[in-house]
Amino acid sequence: MGYYTDALYRALYLIFTLDSEVIQVVKTSLKLSISSTFIATIISIPLAILIARNKFRTKTFINIILNTLLSLPTVVIGIFVYALISRQGVLGELDLLFTQTGIIFGQVLLIIPLITALIRNVIFSMDEKLYKTAVSMGASRKQKFKLLLLEARYGIIGAVIAGFGRVLGEIGISMMLGGNIKGVTRTITTAMSLETNKGRFAFALALGIILLSLSFLINFVTYFLQEGKNYAKR
Amino acid sequence: MPKDKIIEVKNIEKNCREKKILDIDNFIVLKNKFNFIVGGNGSGKTSLLNILSLVDQNYNGELYYKGKKIDKTAENLELRRKFSVIWQDPYLYRGNVFYNIALPLKLRNRNSKIIKNKVKKVAKKIEIEALLDQSAFTLSSGEKQKVSIARALITEPEILFVDEATTNLDEESIHFFNSHFADLVTEEMTVVMVSHDRRQIKKLADYITLIHKGKVKTSKKITNFNFKLFGAGIEAPITKLV
Repeated sequence: MGYYTDALYRALYLIFTLDSEVIQVVKTSLKLSISSTFIATIISIPLAILIARNKFRTKTFINIILNTLLSLPTVVIGIFVYALISRQGVLGELDLLFTQTGIIFGQVLLIIPLITALIRNVIFSMDEKLYKTAVSMGASRKQKFKLLLLEARYGIIGAVIAGFGRVLGEIGISMMLGGNIKGVTRTITTAMSLETNKGRFAFALALGIILLSLSFLINFVTYFLQEGKNYAKR
Repeated sequence: MPKDKIIEVKNIEKNCREKKILDIDNFIVLKNKFNFIVGGNGSGKTSLLNILSLVDQNYNGELYYKGKKIDKTAENLELRRKFSVIWQDPYLYRGNVFYNIALPLKLRNRNSKIIKNKVKKVAKKIEIEALLDQSAFTLSSGEKQKVSIARALITEPEILFVDEATTNLDEESIHFFNSHFADLVTEEMTVVMVSHDRRQIKKLADYITLIHKGKVKTSKKITNFNFKLFGAGIEAPITKLV
């Protein structure tokens, strides 16, 4: 028991003294997660609106694919993207393997289905009168889109936060596409795995505490947004 | 086209899930008048109003505004901005009452000072000044409808469409609507009103069109309102008249 108590103290010490190695890993993780969430959001919002608001022949098929991709293991995406960006792959010439861009590429693919599906559900559940009223008030197509986003903002932010949480905690993609290179592609999760194996338990624990705190913060924000949504519900 | 017609409908058909819900050969809206569309439930009144107000452009047939054919494949933004609609069950957006009333002017990129003055003016007319800072989601049905009336009137529309605005209201709100509505619209405004309320029809109507099973059964100009024109007395329910 003394070993773990000691490790906990040392982990807390690393956090509160802002250990440069810990900070470096956390910064890399946040940078990658924020970048991939941002790119995925830009792609997912119009995609979700397109699916939720339009009738087309392949809609059911697309929805099934989207729902299937929600539960896709990160290592499957990892191996798929690895095949694409490794030297023999179609995108091999871009030299993306074991780079931050490679990880972002994989993470974007991971969370596009999640963010799209969640926003699609939000848009789909919105009152049809919202659109009718916007038209009757003299809104242009662009203004209608803006009003829709404003009305759905809590749901959209919730979806984005869920996507961010997913990439922050994933390990398969970061490990396979990033290669866990110190100071470059080492993220919280890959560092935790490596350092535990190396016996630096306190260091891994410090990162675990930070990851847990970030998850708590994400859930805290999501909860308050959800509460805002309920308050505004008619 | 005679000068007193502002909108004319020719051979309009509207289908919903392969069922024909509107089949109108000819229908007109008289300029600067209270035009009433009456009929039983499911007769197609609201579907017609949606087409007239350009909210629904998915139909077969022709629609004319001041003698000019409306291109239903176009966005018709400029024309839509001359119209306003008061819905039976109004949708208010997230935000306070002020925001909701100001929204049509914001969409027209009006200056914030003008918006503020106009919102205050119209809110005073409709007696909802005290609600301006209140969240739209905390309002009663009557208050919501008043806000939607203010929102529709703030743009001073050329044509005001009203879709059974009092159906979901309590007696007090209906009384407010009936006693104030005529004063709220200007003489330059044309009103197209879908209504079941015989008191409204009796008080306001200049021109009535009766719709039955998606077709225009009859249209009459009313000078001295008389329900007997339609073969029934004032006490008869509207549905009986059609």
